[in-house]
Amino acid sequence: MKEGSYANMWDTPPSYSLYETGEAGRMDYFLNQLINGICQGAIYALMAIGYSVVVGVVGMVTFTHGEVIMIGAFAAYYMFFLSGNQIILGLIVSFAASWVLGYFVYKVCYERFFNAPRHVSLLTTIGFSMLIKNLSQIIFGPNQKPMLDVVEANFFRIGAVQISELQIVIIITVIIMATLLSLIFNKTKFGIRLKAVSQDKTASYMVGINVKRVAMLGNCLGCGLGGIAGLLLAVYYQTIQATMGGPLGMKAFASSVLGGLTDVRFSALGGLCIGIIENLGITVTTASFRDMFAFGFLILVLIIRPQGFVSKKGAKV
Amino acid sequence: MAMLKIENLKVNYGYISALRDVSIEVDTGEIVTLIGGNGAGKTTTLMAISNLVNKADGTVLFKDRDVSYMSPDKIVQMGLSHVPEGRKIFPALSVYENLIAGTMGNPSLSKQRIEELLDFSFELFPRLKERTKQHGGSLSGGEQQMLAIARGLMMDPSLIMLDEPSLGLAPILVEEIFEMIVEIRKAGKTILLIEQNAAMALAIADRGYVLETGDVVLHGTGKDLLVDPAVMKAYLGY
Repeated sequence: MKEGSYANMWDTPPSYSLYETGEAGRMDYFLNQLINGICQGAIYALMAIGYSVVVGVVGMVTFTHGEVIMIGAFAAYYMFFLSGNQIILGLIVSFAASWVLGYFVYKVCYERFFNAPRHVSLLTTIGFSMLIKNLSQIIFGPNQKPMLDVVEANFFRIGAVQISELQIVIIITVIIMATLLSLIFNKTKFGIRLKAVSQDKTASYMVGINVKRVAMLGNCLGCGLGGIAGLLLAVYYQTIQATMGGPLGMKAFASSVLGGLTDVRFSALGGLCIGIIENLGITVTTASFRDMFAFGFLILVLIIRPQGFVSKKGAKV
Repeated sequence: MAMLKIENLKVNYGYISALRDVSIEVDTGEIVTLIGGNGAGKTTTLMAISNLVNKADGTVLFKDRDVSYMSPDKIVQMGLSHVPEGRKIFPALSVYENLIAGTMGNPSLSKQRIEELLDFSFELFPRLKERTKQHGGSLSGGEQQMLAIARGLMMDPSLIMLDEPSLGLAPILVEEIFEMIVEIRKAGKTILLIEQNAAMALAIADRGYVLETGDVVLHGTGKDLLVDPAVMKAYLGY
């Protein structure tokens, strides 16, 4: 891999060393790509987890998730500037920023449309995502920005396989977030509310749950997780851009399809799969085919099992 | 004192009028039953009381407060529990979680009181106790019905509305359910019961209303209706 500037941020594999040539070199390259794929897949998994929480609890499909992720990334970008690379602060701020955006998404796109046909909220989210994307281009500028290095570029080597400290930080963050979410869903009363609302809104009303409030909070929670995924992606790729949300939102959607959009565990698995497939796919082709593998996976899942691999309705963690 | 008073309730589904003019009163401590055939508007009446369908006209007074246009969850939190027809339990929640979900309608319940209510539910329905960790969706039809009723009781309501609790159950279970309803009243609850099984409903009810295509055509005490020739012919199969 040669160093140099790339036209598109997605063409840039994050970190490479030079590999031996020949059969052994190919194998090492393959293994390293597997590690990269797992790391990237972990971020996709977090995006997809957020996505399926939103869809599960609100009960409507969203196309604003990409923009939510982008806002999380920009919030972190400015926070890193102000705080001098405090990663914890960055995590909090990107979670909060995306939470707030989630609140507006809820108010604009969902609140009045619970009883409307499903395509209405679909359209409102598409429209709202365009608005945010274009506003962001005005506010943040249309160009790519280099993200600050928040984690030192240290590598750990196990044989020929190398893992960067950043990758470890990312994977640990994702695991912590998924665990926290699982605790909220399974150990708290709020979790019971979230699950109840995602399974049956009428029945939730009948037991006295304030469905709209719970849907709002669930939506914000899912968006907050998306924001953290945005931070991780920005740090991983070391670039951010106001238009980065588009393909990311689609990938979150593609990952969730594995679990019928609402099963959190399968969505996470889907994200991991897409990350690995992408990174292994480009070992045999070139980096510009990255998205082809991601969406090829989506099409494959839709052909084989359009309803997803779980049968039960409602968000589960 | 009328705990629940419904006046001139009217509901339309599109161009079809589901309820034309329904007026019902339920006094404190009573079992009142609404009987009628399929499509008579029984379920719609309950849905309208809970404000889960839009009313074209009419008022609903609960505990002397106008709840006609109150948010459904607020109505529940005033102490009106709605046990829906069929399988409106949460299929992917465990039995225990379903019961805890039932307490959401009453934020003032203490931990200790919730424990007592759980015990009460398991006393009424011992079968649920053996299945606390099982998912609601994996229960049999009868068990789901029991769970729905138990869930409705978990908020310690003052009025509980039961929508076809015996629907689709084996005859022996039907009897069991009706015994439960009498037990629930003994525990101090007021009950509004909807049933297709008119004979059993009228036998335990203090008063009954007969609903036909969206209108109340008859009302009286349970005993009177049981021997009313029109009711006997239409609903009791004599």
